[in-house]
Amino acid sequence: MINFTINGQNVTALKGETILQAARKAGFYIPTMCYLEKTTPCASCRLCVVETDKTDGFILSCQTPPTEGLAVTIDSDALKTERTNIMRLYNVNHPLECGVCDKSGACDLQNKTLEFGISSQHFSAKEQHRTIEHWGLINYDPSLCILCEKCVHVCNEIIGDDAIELKFGGYKSSVIPKNSDTLDCTFCGECIAVCPVGALVSSNFQYSANAWELTQIPATCAHCSAGCALTYEVRHTSNTVGAIPKIYRVTNDFEHTTLCGAGRFGFDFNVNGTKDPKMFAKAVAAIQSATAIRFSSLITNEEALILQKLKEKFGFKLYNEEARAYQQFMNAYGSMCGKTGCGGTLEAIKQSDAVILLGGRISSDNPAVRYAVTTAARHRGAKVMYMHPLEDELLQNVVTQYVKYEVGTEEGVVAMLAKTLLEGCDLSNEIREFLDELDEGYLCAESNVGDEEFSRIAKSSLRAKQKTLVIGSDLLSHKRAENIARLCALIEMYTDFSIVVVAPSVNTVGVSLICELDTDIGGANIVGYNAEGDFTMGSLGNPELLLPSLNSQEGTFVSMNAQVLPTNVAVGFDGYTLNDIANALGLNAQYTIDYTPQLPRDKGFNGTPFDDLGNFYTALGEDRRGYILKNTDVEINGVLEEINDLPEFNGTVVYRCNPINQFNGYTAQTKQLEKDATLRGSTQFAAAAKIADGDKIRIEFAKGVQERVFVIDSTLKGTVALVPTYDVALGSLGEQYRFEKVKIIKMGSES
Amino acid sequence: MSKVYFSTWRGEQINNIGKADDAWEKSAYNLPMEYNEYASSKAFIGWDGVALFDPEVDVVRLATEYAAQYQVYSEACGRCAPGRWGGRILYDLLDKIARGEGSMSDMEHLREVSKTMQETSKCEIGKTVPNPLLDLMTHFESEFVSCIENQKPSKHYHLEDISYIAKITAPCMDACPAHVDIPAYIEGVRDLRFDDSLMATRQTMPLAHTCGRVCPHPCETECRRTNLDEPISIMELKRLGADYETDHGFGFFHPAEKKPSIGKKVAVIGAGPAGLTGAYYLALEGIDVDVYEELPVLGGEVAVGVPEYRMPIDKYNQDIEAVRSLGVNFITNTKVTADMMRQFENDYDATLVATGTRISKKIYCDNERPEIQGYWGAIDFLDKVNLQVKYNIMVSEEDQKRHMLPSDFVDLSGKTLVCVGGGFTSMDVVRCAIRSNAAKVVMLYRRDEATIIKNTTYEEYHEAVEEGVEFIFHSAVAAIKDENNVLKSLIVDRFELVADPNGGRPTLEKIEGASFELECDYLIPAVSQSADLKLLPSEWEIEMTSWATIKTNGKDYMTSRRGIFAAGDCEYGPMTIVNAVGQAKRAASVISRYVQSGEITLTDDEIMEDHLRRLKVYNKKEKIKGWLPGLPRQHSEVLTVEERKDNNREVKYGFTQEEALAEAERCMRCYYIAMVAY
Repeated sequence: MINFTINGQNVTALKGETILQAARKAGFYIPTMCYLEKTTPCASCRLCVVETDKTDGFILSCQTPPTEGLAVTIDSDALKTERTNIMRLYNVNHPLECGVCDKSGACDLQNKTLEFGISSQHFSAKEQHRTIEHWGLINYDPSLCILCEKCVHVCNEIIGDDAIELKFGGYKSSVIPKNSDTLDCTFCGECIAVCPVGALVSSNFQYSANAWELTQIPATCAHCSAGCALTYEVRHTSNTVGAIPKIYRVTNDFEHTTLCGAGRFGFDFNVNGTKDPKMFAKAVAAIQSATAIRFSSLITNEEALILQKLKEKFGFKLYNEEARAYQQFMNAYGSMCGKTGCGGTLEAIKQSDAVILLGGRISSDNPAVRYAVTTAARHRGAKVMYMHPLEDELLQNVVTQYVKYEVGTEEGVVAMLAKTLLEGCDLSNEIREFLDELDEGYLCAESNVGDEEFSRIAKSSLRAKQKTLVIGSDLLSHKRAENIARLCALIEMYTDFSIVVVAPSVNTVGVSLICELDTDIGGANIVGYNAEGDFTMGSLGNPELLLPSLNSQEGTFVSMNAQVLPTNVAVGFDGYTLNDIANALGLNAQYTIDYTPQLPRDKGFNGTPFDDLGNFYTALGEDRRGYILKNTDVEINGVLEEINDLPEFNGTVVYRCNPINQFNGYTAQTKQLEKDATLRGSTQFAAAAKIADGDKIRIEFAKGVQERVFVIDSTLKGTVALVPTYDVALGSLGEQYRFEKVKIIKMGSES
Repeated sequence: MSKVYFSTWRGEQINNIGKADDAWEKSAYNLPMEYNEYASSKAFIGWDGVALFDPEVDVVRLATEYAAQYQVYSEACGRCAPGRWGGRILYDLLDKIARGEGSMSDMEHLREVSKTMQETSKCEIGKTVPNPLLDLMTHFESEFVSCIENQKPSKHYHLEDISYIAKITAPCMDACPAHVDIPAYIEGVRDLRFDDSLMATRQTMPLAHTCGRVCPHPCETECRRTNLDEPISIMELKRLGADYETDHGFGFFHPAEKKPSIGKKVAVIGAGPAGLTGAYYLALEGIDVDVYEELPVLGGEVAVGVPEYRMPIDKYNQDIEAVRSLGVNFITNTKVTADMMRQFENDYDATLVATGTRISKKIYCDNERPEIQGYWGAIDFLDKVNLQVKYNIMVSEEDQKRHMLPSDFVDLSGKTLVCVGGGFTSMDVVRCAIRSNAAKVVMLYRRDEATIIKNTTYEEYHEAVEEGVEFIFHSAVAAIKDENNVLKSLIVDRFELVADPNGGRPTLEKIEGASFELECDYLIPAVSQSADLKLLPSEWEIEMTSWATIKTNGKDYMTSRRGIFAAGDCEYGPMTIVNAVGQAKRAASVISRYVQSGEITLTDDEIMEDHLRRLKVYNKKEKIKGWLPGLPRQHSEVLTVEERKDNNREVKYGFTQEEALAEAERCMRCYYIAMVAY
């Protein structure tokens, strides 16, 4: 703790905190144009200069930690003069096009120009000709760019794409794609978010609305389990009374949160319905006579509770294989360590200096995890061990050790990992014996992971102070998921690794806590809610009864961080809701969110009513969204099972894995997101499957057949191809083990 | 001392305007009065003032050109608002005045923008560019005003009779023999752009892993931050870029794309730091390079001399692989002879000799005979240790016998080893001896503790003491005692420092009666090394220095024989890795032009580099503005004595990311622009 003063007032700073951070915490205002809390200081705007009693001249508050007893002055006349001059420089030749600029009304340059009272151009320099760049979803206008470098920092330090850089050239400097003619990135759009002026803009949004016309609706992203905060910005489209507004764009509180491309650009998935009493009656009847309701995890907690209550009332079954797999995994985990939830969070990953990523393709499964890992790698120098059968090029600049194991051998890999990490821990005899009796030779040989690779993992994490093990969804849907879960629990119990489980879908965690799920054995009279059924309802596929999509609903999700997060209605819905059906079936609630306080307390929910849930970050970045589930105790009765033969996957194997920014039926229908529906594989895969780039093929799965085009992806190696699931309207990742041996037939070649 | 017409350099106020030539007051600084052998300078202008050598200089044009250079060189900058726009405005306004279109308000705006740049720019380049411009506007105001009032261009505005040559430098870059762009690689760390960091290093220094570990870092002695609190830990920050490349299995980040082959061939003799560096920069220029190495392994003295615990071989090999990745051809186990050299003259377009100094010098005591068993030269001792530790190349039976080793590696169990030295090599010997399980290790040194620290490093000395090395200062071996040619003991004299009554340097004088006998099994002389230059054909009559190294002019590194170049220790005498790198980099640059044009030339950048080194960029008296003092230098963790003394684990962990970032934040980016008009 360092004590110093700002304008004579006592202030304290923590070790590592800068003068600017301490000042902001103490409520002092120091102007900045390039400062971004979540990255290292860009230090380009120079507005944050301050004076001190120990220095000659001004010092930069954004990158200087205070020293004990320092007396800082933040607003002398001399400072004001130079800051004003800097603002005058910023305004040299800045195009006077605020009238049409997207940023107008929410522009830092505009704000600061007014703040410093710059009413005319004081200095002049030769005008230069600049061309606007069109980079797909993103446009860049260098003449508007003030070269604050926020975009460059966030792209490299948080996202990990490292796709843009500054082209140095003094007055002619600009932002350019790195090592490429055009922007080649994952299109998260975070550069647009952080741009303080109108230089980087969404090409879809550009010139469509003014900032001040848009209504901001705080919500939670409905694409994956990270539960990112976002704001739907909506505007009326017609003057007709009751006309439903449209979502114009999604923004985020970029100082403290980060959003992927799906969250940012994949917002237009809402549907509208009408109140058709006949269809409503049909739905009610279908449920009354249903043997089961099959549903997806694209559902709020409140609706999940409605389904559970209906189940209790009518005795039908509830099917959701993806959530059930997660539930079983977590139950097995809890049976070892006595807790319902794991200790790790996305925030913990960011703070880690050793991270093991095991059994998932993080960059597309859950970009928030990727960003957290990038943050750890860049800011903490984290050792990142990536264990998966498929290498991921997007992770190369964060991964320090890639461990490739054979498809299907996850149980063996986890056992060996546990054995490695538990070396020297004080274990019960039972566990020690279990680990000692592992047939190391067999496990290493079958998984194709050498002893030395495990030793290297141990060595890399040896000096780390904070460690996280990230469990991907390959493990959740694995045949031996429960034993894997028990082994993972051991790692968390006996080492200082905390565990993060990447739940496969938006509200997998909530569903697994709220619903008693049954094994999906099919049967007659099944009602599907955003899932297949004899009667279907929902907002995906072509349901018989349209129900509101997740951006037309209020309610809560539980994120992979075990955080209960509220979401709100961005655009209205004229038809019926599940709550209406439930009321017709004898439940009684005016609004769906009347169920929020009824969410099960024994699972850690705390009974807070929906309207009392916060949904924002404070100016200093404190998370005030919803609440964290209580991690409740459960009975310890788990027993480690002996590891028998590890399965082998030979022949043509595909891996269910969506392209970047695609997750589910919602993202599939949005306008801006790229919709790659191809089977992607390496040249090696093509040779093994006897197919060529561009071939139309038929893939025969154990359940069902798909027709796709095969494309060779030069970033892939090995004999496993990637098959998307998002475009199968009612399919979801994680219903079954993600790898599958399939038959691939080149179409037109069948005889 | 320089003869100047006018100078404000480093605060001096010399104004000889209107004075008779013989009454001129001289400048106290080594200003670049002669640009090169063909041209005299007319003016020198830089971060710390301006000096005019010729009364005819058009100061308005000079100021405009200096501002223009800031624009040209802004690739080093363009990173902050005041520098980016301010620099442009400076140039636009000065040019407007110089071409006869200025107004008096432009002078005011110039002063105003200058002030903002001086106070708020990100790096020193932006802060200091206005300095000499303001000097000129103050001392030669009438010339500016005359352009404005008469609306006429300045006298040389439309003439192209003068060359303006500029150079970016920094105190640390200037002090570094390899002139590494240190602020750029530190900025890469600060911005978490480790690839950029490494590429900045590799512009002039291919051995990033190596010089991130075992460089004596002369840059830190001339780090401007020293004037404020403590120097930046420049050396260790170099590792971050190198580690990033290695840890993530990227290919190699080269500073530029390798040029297509130009059909020229160069032979490099020796694969040590100088040879590797020469090969690297020659290869980048599209020249085919064959490197001949006497030893079975690559890397020279850093491989077989510097121990594993200081310089892990897997890291050094990364540096070597970076060189190989450019297509350099290595030929090992080949000692180049005079006959081969004669042949090379026909086979290659040029030859670079980089054979180092690999002969351990004698200590000059009585009975010092190499045939005595137990008398073992430091270079050979370290060869044997390192070849086994790093490459598993065992000691031959013959050598086992020669050095009385019980097995095929250097096992000193139960033995006493005495080393005579005081430099890095002797430190390596004693610490390797500890790791070879010697019972007792003694270092004899003629001078005192402070001097040994100055000649090596504080860490190196203290780590050796911690590991159990016994240092006997003010001592020297007088005689060796043997029995049947087997070393038995040493007669050691003691000395004391006697002050010179006349105030001269104190002298070391022997203390009579204080000599003692020291029983030992090994005596390792590690006082210095000399070059083995038998490969130079005698009929070439290559000129030598007085200490028997190859003579060059220290600028282009060509020997007295055309086409034969020399760099590194064989040219300079035993010196540092970074010195070898700097020399070889320059030699490669000269060779790359020589093989095409047959001319020996230096680039303007190289000429300016040498001028600035003579002038010295670092000013230890400067008072620092704009930075808060009292932020401590970071120190990386080291293994404990118990953890390290019986093995070859790397002693230093290197910075954690947190330490590295805190350290990088301390860097003040002291870039400067200097310009000569001739």
